[in-house]
Amino acid sequence: MDRILEIGGYSAGFCGRLFAQAGHQVTRVESPQPPAWASQQAMSLFLHPGKRRVHADAAPLDELAAAADIVVIEAATADAALALGFEHWSTPVKVVITPFGLTGPKRNWHATPSTLLAMGGYSQIIGDAGRAPLSLPGHYVEFQGAQFAYSAANGCRFAGASNVVDISLYECLLTLSQFTTVMWSCANRIRSRHGSDFYWVVPSNLFACADGWVYINTVPTFWDAMTTFLQLPELIIDARFTDNDLRMQHRDALHELIAQALATVSKAEIRERAIAARIPAGVVLTFDEVLEDEHLGERNFWQSIEDTDGRHYRAPSLGFCIDGRARAPMTLQKVAPERSV
Amino acid sequence: MSSVKGPLNGVRILDLTHVWAGPLATRILSDLGAEVVKIERALGRGPTVATIEPIAGWIGGEPGAEPWNNNAAFVKLARNAKSVSLDLKQKQGREVFLQLVAVADVVIENFSARAMPSMDLGYADLRAHNPKLIYVTMPGYGTSGPYKDWVAFGPTVEPMTGLGQMLGYSDAEPRNSAMALIDPIGGTTAVTALLTALRDRQQTGTGCYVELSLHECGVAFNGPWLIERQLGGELGRHGNAHPEMAPHGMYRCRSRGLHDDADWVAIACQDQQAWRGLVTILGAELDPAWERRERAARAEFIDVALADWALRLDKDAAAEALQAVGVAAGPVATAPDMLAENHAQARQFFVPYERYATPIPGNPIRMSGLSHDDWSQCPALGAHSQSVLQQWLGMSVQHTQQLLDARVIAERPPD
Repeated sequence: MDRILEIGGYSAGFCGRLFAQAGHQVTRVESPQPPAWASQQAMSLFLHPGKRRVHADAAPLDELAAAADIVVIEAATADAALALGFEHWSTPVKVVITPFGLTGPKRNWHATPSTLLAMGGYSQIIGDAGRAPLSLPGHYVEFQGAQFAYSAANGCRFAGASNVVDISLYECLLTLSQFTTVMWSCANRIRSRHGSDFYWVVPSNLFACADGWVYINTVPTFWDAMTTFLQLPELIIDARFTDNDLRMQHRDALHELIAQALATVSKAEIRERAIAARIPAGVVLTFDEVLEDEHLGERNFWQSIEDTDGRHYRAPSLGFCIDGRARAPMTLQKVAPERSV
Repeated sequence: MSSVKGPLNGVRILDLTHVWAGPLATRILSDLGAEVVKIERALGRGPTVATIEPIAGWIGGEPGAEPWNNNAAFVKLARNAKSVSLDLKQKQGREVFLQLVAVADVVIENFSARAMPSMDLGYADLRAHNPKLIYVTMPGYGTSGPYKDWVAFGPTVEPMTGLGQMLGYSDAEPRNSAMALIDPIGGTTAVTALLTALRDRQQTGTGCYVELSLHECGVAFNGPWLIERQLGGELGRHGNAHPEMAPHGMYRCRSRGLHDDADWVAIACQDQQAWRGLVTILGAELDPAWERRERAARAEFIDVALADWALRLDKDAAAEALQAVGVAAGPVATAPDMLAENHAQARQFFVPYERYATPIPGNPIRMSGLSHDDWSQCPALGAHSQSVLQQWLGMSVQHTQQLLDARVIAERPPD
């Protein structure tokens, strides 16, 4: 078991969460948090159960760091990170997460998830043509940076090596940019916005159904099965739609047929039909529906979290499970009184 | 041993993954020094004759003499790997695979839940040949529960996570990111899972079974909202606005004449200091003392001023000007913008190492001992079909040649 010192916002918080869930001893230094997409109460209940929480002035950071095997630092800029003095700490593994990394001409640029998503190539391809690019809500950027930070730190500990790890959230997005840059380099095409349409594979779009919305994603090998799902078997022999190139040419006509076919079908029936036909489709669920989803419930996905007043909440556990271990309940501890550590 | 120096040197991974999430995971692991051996069907990269252009085109712009080796989207994800083309449906192929499993550390696959067990190659089968094996399976909805047989791709899993309640221009317009967002979440989560399992194995000395559901990976990223609902919070689409920042949005800039639908800048006034900086740019009708709630109440008025200002500058100049006064801003980038961006260039992030010097996104984990100088290109299909069997299993050259002649292994697709 490692001792982790966590300093920072939601990326450090998510990284610390991964360590806490894996059974390591995590000490979080509480500090003012950047703007979030949920209340600070919700952010804490999600990110910080199982951690020891202390005030920033409870003990000098270098003392806390000296007792840690890994320190995870998240800062708003490179200079803000360096100002902590981590370079002088004796901690074997020091992971520093900043928007642009510790070097380079933009190392002190200010950033938020939306500005990073713009620069990282995401916003350009989300939303409608001719309208403003659409930013992703939530904390995708910070959480992805956290997963790289966690993996790097664990890699160092696995190898028994000391190191300083420089994680740039911007570079995390660039490396996760699907095929955006190679499409330009190799096919001279610039990706742009096509609404909810996964433009290159037809039909792949969002359609209204009787009580909500459904997304279908028809990779060519699934076309025949998709016609079964839609209960439009005649489409298999329709000369307009026999391969993906033709379906791209006749996209609007095909979309209209699908819209008609799905307009009166319920989400529940879509789920049953999609599983039976073995085709990729998904229905748009609200968070309330996700919380009540029978599949997640049957898989014991939810983790019970107790807050500092003894109330209980269902939090998503990790996206993976080792040897079928149960997701053990966890508790959000109170922040330790100042000078008590 | 991998040619890439890194903390995972000595870790042998048999990689049966395909599409995006799985190959992304193994690419990250190979960047950290793991020896990744792709186990591929002879037709796994397509036939010998190019039929349709791949989604991201061909490396070098043309299919070339070996089109199956030139799919740009595939190549991008396969650096540093080795390739063994092995027919698992032949008895001999299965035996060779099990021999490889016996000397591997990790098997990772992202087939449907039923695929590997149906070939008697599930975890129990493989563990019998190697009790220290870490087996990672990545089906869309996991291996149990009512949805376990539901075919899943990133774009269809995304709406099942609840994200659709938040993503969109307004509550009247539901959206999908249409970029398979769940795949990169699943890919990095698989790396997280594997590093956790490797360190567990260091302690216990035994292998384990890692089950990863793409669906659950996506739901996990929405954790704060799922708890917010239990706290009674109301959630809905904000467009490009933000519940705790104002102003916050996308603003059209002066056209660069490129007709790429990308003349926009993202602006986020992240704190009071940034607001004071923004006021110095926008002018006297705005009060630097307005706090966030006051700014949110005047969002329309502020947006008009900001939109008017942004239109006078191109997106790069707008971002530079805002950064100079402490405001978070970034230009909306296309692929050529990303490749030309000076910060990424200064940090040598894109690496022109593939055939035809194609720039490929680098590794965001930077630490001493890791360098792209020792990276290798995506291997040709089956390039290591013989050498891996010789090195890992001690097979003779004659033996591997027999396997090649019998089409148990391959070095190119069948004609």
